[in-house]
Amino acid sequence: MVHIPGEKHTPLILSVDGVTKSFDGFKAINDLSFYLSEGELRTVIGPNGAGKSTFMDLITARTKPDEGKIVFHKDNGEDVDLTRVREHHVSQLGIGRKFQNPTVYRSHTVYDNLQLSLSGRRNLLSSLFYSESQEDRDKIHHVLDTVRLTEFKDDLAGSLSHGQKQWLEIGMLLAQDPRIMLVDEPAAGMSDEETERTGELLLSLEGKHSLIVIEHDMEFVRQIARRVTVLHQGQVLKEGDFDFVKSDSKVIEVYLGRQSRKH
Amino acid sequence: MNVFDSKLETRGFIVTMIVLLFAIPMMNAFFPENSFFHISSFQLSLWGKYVTYAILAMSLNVLWGYTGMLCLCQSLFFALGAYAFGMYLVLHIGIDDVYNTPLPVFMDFQGYTELPWYWAPFEYAPFAVVASLAIPGLVAFVFGTLIFRSRIRGVYFSIITQALTYALMLFFFKNNLELFGQSYILFGGNNGLNDFKEIFRANINSAATQRWLFIASVVLMLSVYLLIAWVLKTKFGKVQQAIRDSENRIRFSGYSTSTYKLLIFTACAMIAGAAGALYVPQVGGINANEMTPAKSLDVVVWVAFGGRGTKFGPILGAVVVSLLKSFFLRAAPDSWLIILGGIFIFTVLFMPNGLVGLPGQLKPWLNRIRGNKPLVSEEASSPSVP
Amino acid sequence: MKKALFILAVFVSSAFGEVDNEATRDVLERLALAGKSEQTGVLAELAQLGDPFIKEFVDAWRVGEVFSYEISDTETIVLQRVSENYRRLSNDEVIEIPNTESDKVSKIRPSRSLRRELKKITDTIDLASPDVGTRMDAALKLGLSQRLEYMESLQSKFEAESNARAKAAFEEAINIIILANHQSPEELNQAVQRLGELKSLPGRDQISGIQTKAVEEGNSELASICSTALRQIDNRQRTIERWGNLVRGLSLGSVLLMVAFGLAITFGLMGIINMAHGEFIAIGGYTCYVMQNIFASSFGEQSAAYQWFFWVSLPICFLVAGGIGYGLEKGLFRFLYKRPLESLLATWGLSMVMQQLFRLKFGAANVQVNTPDILIGNFDFWGIALSYTRVFVVAFAGFVVVMTWLLLTKTNLGLYIRAVMQNRNMASSLGIPVSRVNSLTFAFGCGLAALAGAALSQIGNVGPSMGQTYIVDSFMVVVVGGVGNLLGAGISALGIGTVDQFLQPTFGPVMGKIIVFLMIILFLQWKPGGLFPTKSRSMDD
Repeated sequence: MVHIPGEKHTPLILSVDGVTKSFDGFKAINDLSFYLSEGELRTVIGPNGAGKSTFMDLITARTKPDEGKIVFHKDNGEDVDLTRVREHHVSQLGIGRKFQNPTVYRSHTVYDNLQLSLSGRRNLLSSLFYSESQEDRDKIHHVLDTVRLTEFKDDLAGSLSHGQKQWLEIGMLLAQDPRIMLVDEPAAGMSDEETERTGELLLSLEGKHSLIVIEHDMEFVRQIARRVTVLHQGQVLKEGDFDFVKSDSKVIEVYLGRQSRKH
Repeated sequence: MNVFDSKLETRGFIVTMIVLLFAIPMMNAFFPENSFFHISSFQLSLWGKYVTYAILAMSLNVLWGYTGMLCLCQSLFFALGAYAFGMYLVLHIGIDDVYNTPLPVFMDFQGYTELPWYWAPFEYAPFAVVASLAIPGLVAFVFGTLIFRSRIRGVYFSIITQALTYALMLFFFKNNLELFGQSYILFGGNNGLNDFKEIFRANINSAATQRWLFIASVVLMLSVYLLIAWVLKTKFGKVQQAIRDSENRIRFSGYSTSTYKLLIFTACAMIAGAAGALYVPQVGGINANEMTPAKSLDVVVWVAFGGRGTKFGPILGAVVVSLLKSFFLRAAPDSWLIILGGIFIFTVLFMPNGLVGLPGQLKPWLNRIRGNKPLVSEEASSPSVP
Repeated sequence: MKKALFILAVFVSSAFGEVDNEATRDVLERLALAGKSEQTGVLAELAQLGDPFIKEFVDAWRVGEVFSYEISDTETIVLQRVSENYRRLSNDEVIEIPNTESDKVSKIRPSRSLRRELKKITDTIDLASPDVGTRMDAALKLGLSQRLEYMESLQSKFEAESNARAKAAFEEAINIIILANHQSPEELNQAVQRLGELKSLPGRDQISGIQTKAVEEGNSELASICSTALRQIDNRQRTIERWGNLVRGLSLGSVLLMVAFGLAITFGLMGIINMAHGEFIAIGGYTCYVMQNIFASSFGEQSAAYQWFFWVSLPICFLVAGGIGYGLEKGLFRFLYKRPLESLLATWGLSMVMQQLFRLKFGAANVQVNTPDILIGNFDFWGIALSYTRVFVVAFAGFVVVMTWLLLTKTNLGLYIRAVMQNRNMASSLGIPVSRVNSLTFAFGCGLAALAGAALSQIGNVGPSMGQTYIVDSFMVVVVGGVGNLLGAGISALGIGTVDQFLQPTFGPVMGKIIVFLMIILFLQWKPGGLFPTKSRSMDD
């Protein structure tokens, strides 16, 4: 094994160790190990059924693994076992997730969508007696700028276009100020121009947040790729920079092999 | 902080408050019976009943209209509150003139000579008042904890809450509970609790008492309205509606949705219980028929018909449907259920936003009839709530 | 057409009897004509026969309806007078006796001693019946009379008996007789012990009487033997009760199953929660009621054809409910696809309308649907009485399940249904007539509910709100089974029905229901999606 997160003060932020998850005997994730460094932008690709979505579900505690450990390394050096916390705690720890289909609160305004996502206390009383501070307002406006939705801030989220909803959801993630952002197919359903702008947005976040981006669109992957992990049958098939991965014979076989069968 | 959305709403609220709290009780108290302006005590307690129905509908609307949980046990909570307060009332009937017993008659029939321990505290008014809130609240809390923990929602939530209603209804229809060789007397079985004589030492049937009960119901309704209006303005209210729109998203934004839902569910149960407690003295009785699953669905039709997800809709729906019911039960008793069923179907198919949403729904049509230019989107209607 | 032929056949066979007991008739004829000295031999022969005709003939003989007739100088035959006709004993032919020969006919009557012997034979005649059940019943009846005079024939039959159950019944009867007629204390001890081993329910009262007496007399040995025997018998009794519960539970579960199948299919296929599904149960019940009335008025209640009303009702229920369901799907449910909560409300409204229509048409009280004769009574399964109606309901549900399975897996419609269930849009773009499939499936689900209602008419009440009694349970079945999953629905229906019946004796029906409900809530803590949850990748459905 290449990386072993032994010391506390490693630059690692997430370690996935030998995780297995099966559904009715089918191993969606099979002895998977994966490590993410602080501030890294990682792209995860893989053919359909490679286990990408299950991988996300595991990190966000939506499903629990049969075996293995998933550890989040906090700022203060403390380690948290993500297999033992509930979903809403995962997000409070600083892990945000954007779903595959854009998911926004459609009967709230864009502004309120972001306000609800702001980091801060989330218990019952604090939400009953919350009053918006200048700091919060600035933060929301900053996010609105970043995702280019300032002029739509008073529109109902349900009335936005598909691409705008994707951005709003990314904005909601940013408002949470997460340490890790899990971004599932951000470019799906976007025009070329929107896709490119999304890519720029994600690149601009590198360093400030750690990102895991799952994507199908190879053009988009080429645009944002730093380090790429290829998943296949629930395991890491290859890991490295885009050109290295792209020229690997196994990866080509997995991708092109499937394609040639289609023809 | 202004809890109202518009000037119209503010004015409407103030006018309603003046009419219901002052004008109507005064018309009952100070105008002679043959006067045009007189409102009879019968009418007053009838409207008092409708007010408690309206509160019940508002509590369901918070659950269904704003949080997306179609709860089919709301009238169960209403009935639990009614029973808790009814137990107090039934213990203050005094010595029965026929059977010469201080106990409720159904206990005397079964040979009881003193109150069982779980009945005894209800002799005290403060206990009964607290219990009429706490018992529905507790049932909702325990049940809600289990339900929300296992992530039961949507239709399954409705089905399970209906089953809860059904199970407890069967329980309340029983006279006695036989458990481990012991027999416990329950709450009057089929007949329930009725024939009350006094409330807080006053004659329950006097005009003055009924007037105060009406006023208390209106105060509760207006307070609940203000509470709902306030919550909707807070972040809590936004979280609540976000749960309705996308529970997973808000959970992954770090909110413990099950805690939020549990609080809302419990609070709504308590509001319904309070409404039930005010219902009992005005109607003069409570029995297990108020707990049938059908009653809970009646509440749903009030909310749907008036307009769910709106503050005023449930009140309107509860009153209009109740008026329709009292009209048709006299005019055509056989067809009332058919008409009510028809309202259900019609509302679902053609009035997704209820009476409150009707003007908006009809606007394009009216414009066309008046010969105005057709609007861009003919069938425009506000986004429907899931 | 086949049915009509069958009804005809029933008529024919009852009008013209055939002689199928020549041997018995021969022995009886010889006995009637025998001289005193020959009688003993013939009687012994007769005792070996188990034909119920013997009883009929002996009765006629005793009251003077039997005659001898000298046809010729050498031949005399025996006649039996049946409603003013003379019938020849040997072949049941009606014989016309010319007036001239009336002096050749004379009444014959058995002598007193012969009558006594005949009574013994007729009392014990069922012991030799070819039907095992009749033999056992007869033995127990004789045993319970506790009269020593039957001992001999019981003994001889016991030795000759080859069927194990009948042999046990004979032994039981013999021992019960010994209880009252024992010669020695040892014999009594043995009899009690043996009855305990045989777990004899009929002997229980006698044994417990003996025990009380033994305790009073201070006979501790006998008392302890008795209590052992009683314990064995009581165990048996409990087993029987348990089986009874099981069958009642299974039959209730079977009804739930048929109802829940329809619900599961409509929910799985169209995302509709059909609260009016219960009213289709009532349609089934009322269809049976209407058919019963039609049969009664056109054939008369005594006729054999009347017995067929229930069987004819079954397909008609299915068609009527299916037809109504088809119409409603086209007119109402179509607009509610994939809107479960709205569909719940609209169908609830529909359910109210339908219930009220039933009330207006058939009255608010329950109506009586008769049980066809063939389903009346119990059959005996190792001493456990199972009512035919309940067994029928279980078997019928099994038949329905098999048919549903065949429909879903072996027909084109089934293939379409499964395709639409999995992906509506894809199925539609593949050219599957989705809206037709929907209508037919919905009609099918309604038909299943009506069949459940028909089955219920045999074990429960038929009334305007009968559907409401079962609909909550059926929804629970669907939730526990995993929504839209037929196998899950099957398992959970039988499970819930059985658990319910097992709890009832201890807790009463109401607490039983409440406990079942609590168990379901706890079960859902463990498996929130039911037994077979639907797997879904999308986050928000």
